[in-house]
Amino acid sequence: MVGTIPYINLALLVPALPLLGFLVTGLGYKRFRHNQAGIIASTAVGLSFLISVLLFFVLRNSNQDAATITLFNWISVGKMNIPFAFLIDHLSLTMTLIITGVGTLIHIYSIGYMHGDDRVNSFFAQMNLFTFSMLLLVMGANYLILFIGWEGVGLCSYLLIGFWFKNPAYNYAARKAFVMNRIGDLGFILGIILLFFTFHSVSFSEIFTQASVLQVGTPVITAIALLLLIGAVGKSAQIPLFTWLPDAMAGPTPVSALIHAATMVTAGIYVIARSSILYNLSPFTLNVIIVLGLGTAIFAAIIGLKQNDIKKVLAYSTVSQLGYMFLALGLGAYSTAVFHVTTHAFFKALLFLGAGSIIHALGGEQDIRKMGGLRKKMPVTYWTFLAATLAISGIPPFSGFFSKDMILVKAFEQNILIYVLALFGALLTCFYMFRLFYLVFYGEQRLANVNAHESPRVMTIPLIILGFLSVFGGFLNLPSLFGGNLSFNQFMQSAVSSKISDEISHGTEIVLILLSISVLGLVIWYAYRIFIRKAIIPPGDSEPMSAIARLVTNKFYIDEIYAFVFEKPFGSLSNFLFKTVETNILNPIVDSIGELTDIMGTLTRRLQRGNMSFYFFAMVAGILLFIIFTLTI
Amino acid sequence: MLILILLLIPIITGLFLLAFRKAEIVRYIALGSSIINLLITLAIAFDPSSSSYSLNWINFMGISFSLGMDSISLIMVLLTNLLFPFILLAGFNREQRNVHLLNFLILFTQSALLGVFMAQNAFLFYVFWELALIPVYFILLIWGGDGKRTITFKFFIYTLTGSLFLLFGIIYLYQLTPGVHTTDFTVFNQLQIPEATQIWLFWILFIAFAIKMPLFPFHTWQPPTYKMASTQGVMILAGVMTKMGIYGVLRFLLPVVPLGVLFWQNTVIILSLIGVIYASVIAFRKANLKMMIAFSSMAHISLMVAAMFVLNQYALQGLLFQVLSHGVTIVALFYVSCLVKEKTGTTEMPQLGGLKLNAPNLAILFLIILLGSIALPLTAGFVGEFLMIAGLFQQSVWFAVFGGMTMILGAIYMLYAYQRVMLGNQKTAFEHIDDLISLDYLILIPLIAIILVLGIYPQPIFDLLKPVTEIFSGLTH
Repeated sequence: MVGTIPYINLALLVPALPLLGFLVTGLGYKRFRHNQAGIIASTAVGLSFLISVLLFFVLRNSNQDAATITLFNWISVGKMNIPFAFLIDHLSLTMTLIITGVGTLIHIYSIGYMHGDDRVNSFFAQMNLFTFSMLLLVMGANYLILFIGWEGVGLCSYLLIGFWFKNPAYNYAARKAFVMNRIGDLGFILGIILLFFTFHSVSFSEIFTQASVLQVGTPVITAIALLLLIGAVGKSAQIPLFTWLPDAMAGPTPVSALIHAATMVTAGIYVIARSSILYNLSPFTLNVIIVLGLGTAIFAAIIGLKQNDIKKVLAYSTVSQLGYMFLALGLGAYSTAVFHVTTHAFFKALLFLGAGSIIHALGGEQDIRKMGGLRKKMPVTYWTFLAATLAISGIPPFSGFFSKDMILVKAFEQNILIYVLALFGALLTCFYMFRLFYLVFYGEQRLANVNAHESPRVMTIPLIILGFLSVFGGFLNLPSLFGGNLSFNQFMQSAVSSKISDEISHGTEIVLILLSISVLGLVIWYAYRIFIRKAIIPPGDSEPMSAIARLVTNKFYIDEIYAFVFEKPFGSLSNFLFKTVETNILNPIVDSIGELTDIMGTLTRRLQRGNMSFYFFAMVAGILLFIIFTLTI
Repeated sequence: MLILILLLIPIITGLFLLAFRKAEIVRYIALGSSIINLLITLAIAFDPSSSSYSLNWINFMGISFSLGMDSISLIMVLLTNLLFPFILLAGFNREQRNVHLLNFLILFTQSALLGVFMAQNAFLFYVFWELALIPVYFILLIWGGDGKRTITFKFFIYTLTGSLFLLFGIIYLYQLTPGVHTTDFTVFNQLQIPEATQIWLFWILFIAFAIKMPLFPFHTWQPPTYKMASTQGVMILAGVMTKMGIYGVLRFLLPVVPLGVLFWQNTVIILSLIGVIYASVIAFRKANLKMMIAFSSMAHISLMVAAMFVLNQYALQGLLFQVLSHGVTIVALFYVSCLVKEKTGTTEMPQLGGLKLNAPNLAILFLIILLGSIALPLTAGFVGEFLMIAGLFQQSVWFAVFGGMTMILGAIYMLYAYQRVMLGNQKTAFEHIDDLISLDYLILIPLIAIILVLGIYPQPIFDLLKPVTEIFSGLTH
């Protein structure tokens, strides 16, 4: 297929430019001054974005849905043949546009945010390396190339979470993220290996062609789907591997926006959407995904209710929203999941960048109890933050409404209980977001000695653009009720095979929408009453609270449980194996074998006491024995 | 003829060096010879036609001095000759006693190792196998660190005991050969040994290899020896000598006692996988950087042994690829630990920390090397481990799961060590340490380049290894 679509080879530049940016900024990190590294890095990603846009039109104007570009044979052993190849289709292109588009804005924003940090050049090198890896992840034409990107983004996430490496807690958070991801990755790589032994290939096109004729419920497919899911659960921070994501907020805020909100954490969703054909063959796995997704969505939202660190609230909100995406995947609505990835990339990146703007203005303060009254002082941040808050809450016509409501509608079609739970989660989301919003922007400024000010333009312009996208992004996928034709889902159709129809009857849809709008309105009003009318500020950490409140505030003690069940025993085991098994069992055994020769030496030494008569006796006895021995045979 | 030259260059250069007294000249000559050797090896790798040599030796016993090189040998020879220039470079600009003697011994080791990897009969193999121990014994004893006497003694006795079994095995096989007795591998390979015999003979032959690798639970000599050894000593031990055991199994064990191998296959795989987990878990809490690297090396070697015994082509190719990858990575890691020791005076990690502040380049290079060690894609380690785990998977899912645990455990102990050495806040004692000097770049950058190039474009090695699959295709069923 190479060359059949004109200019398609330009796609190689999409990952190549950030890689180049990484090499330039990384190798020359000592030489760049001022904002040079940031400008180089932003330009690299920006150009990638422009090329992606170009490719979008190239692909649309061609009569093909996909193109593969093969660079060389990466691994070719026996029957295994893994080319280093890229796949350009509607799904990978959509992801590419998100990564490079939102990525460019965040890179530009970072120029302002990281200004003055003495390792700013390393920061941009790592951001570019991340972008490269992420692009590799979504553009790879087979599971192993995807896995390169998959591990690459994990590495960059590790590096950037621990960017301020003097702080041991940050380093711990970085390691935790990497290790938890690796737990998922083991499942993922085993899934790839099982794919290979099942289909004798790891390339998407080959596998999906072969899989399309398989029976639903084939056990090996279920095994593959579950193994890949383990990887996705790790990367997309689902129960039980989600605890790394809130800790990952140790990184600089633009990192949280790019990696831990807009792109990397959605890789799990991408993989499952990409493998939709396999997942359709395994209803069991889809049900597992529903349970995980819904559970995560609600559980994280509950924790979000009681968090007081602005980034932690957003982190749990991300975990929760990823849960919604998983729910959509589990329902077989893969395109809808990807659509929620898209709108979420807009409004969650905006929320994080807004949070960054606030933290920046308040000299590093992250506790929302100490904020307040920023509405007038930071108007751009305020208005854009409002747009994002409305979007994530699912208020029409903001972007989140279209994507989240579509998930709710799908849930309703499948099972009323799922719908009720999902709606409940949406209400929690709305509440903790408005709690955050009111506490930060309204009331009096509670932080003394800080002169809050609006951020520089290099930071506010990305906010405005993302604000625009958060408001209008939903129109990409207007359902027919609003006169659209679900253009996003239709665009996805060639790459992703959704299991259930995208449209439902307008009557039901209207009822459901009215229902969710009215309860959301109630929630917002309730939040308004608490945090503005009564002006209640959440109590300090040391103040007494009810048992349930303490449980939620402490995130259900999951971290403590993991530490107690896994980390501590692992350390003890390590000590035990060395101090007991190695030192007190294996070593003494070896030494005692060595001592055996010593003991034998001692024994034989006793025979040689210099007693002549004994020697003589021994000699005669020996000769006699020898004669008897020779005579008998 | 070319391979005889390959064998002789190091030892002759070594003897020649004894005439010199000036450290710098000695080092340059030694380095020069090793580079020439590497170039010849590369020439052979591209054109393997001229790769055998034979000379009558002990005729009445049917033993000749015959050398040869198939692709397994080639990988081992390539690894040896690739690493020795770096091992020699690691001695440059450093305070060392008796430089001429040291370099002689290193080159002596190189020749002996090449002999092991090229010998075509068991007798010659055994001679070189034992010969390699002698210079290493002195390198450890004279240039080692604390406790060198007892540790070296233990190392020596331990490996020698293994060798005795091997010698017994060789004599036993020798008297089984038909007609005029011989120790040629080709003849050994065709012996039809009854299964009952193979079952015990397996351990007689294997024990020496198992100690050398080392396989759990025959490993106890290794961590203290690695910790005590000088940088060059440990580079030789970990980079090349551990591969002697692997080579021994491939050359000697698998073809000669195939039924014994099949009988003990799962036992050895399980022992190896225990070794993987055992060493990885211990590595996490080891406070000494060199000890940590030693246990990590043991974990990786154990995975390679497990892969070797599943006897399928993916595992085998992955294993042979990993021979190169592990050698390069472990040598680089030990060099980094040497740098840490030189800059701070210690390798005890609780005393270290924050080195990245003053030595950012050291930190970055260390990070890249350790990523190679934990098999991040696009490093050589990934290609090898992926194929090995795929091979293990073909045998049993559980083998793959436990083998794959290195992915998680490796990340746990390596990143923890990295944090303890490089990250965190600076200790006041290290306020004035320097970053890398050009010699360090000269060693680390090429090693890292090899790790990355092999990870990005591994295919040439697999093309080199293609014939191996044919050698073992008969064995796999």
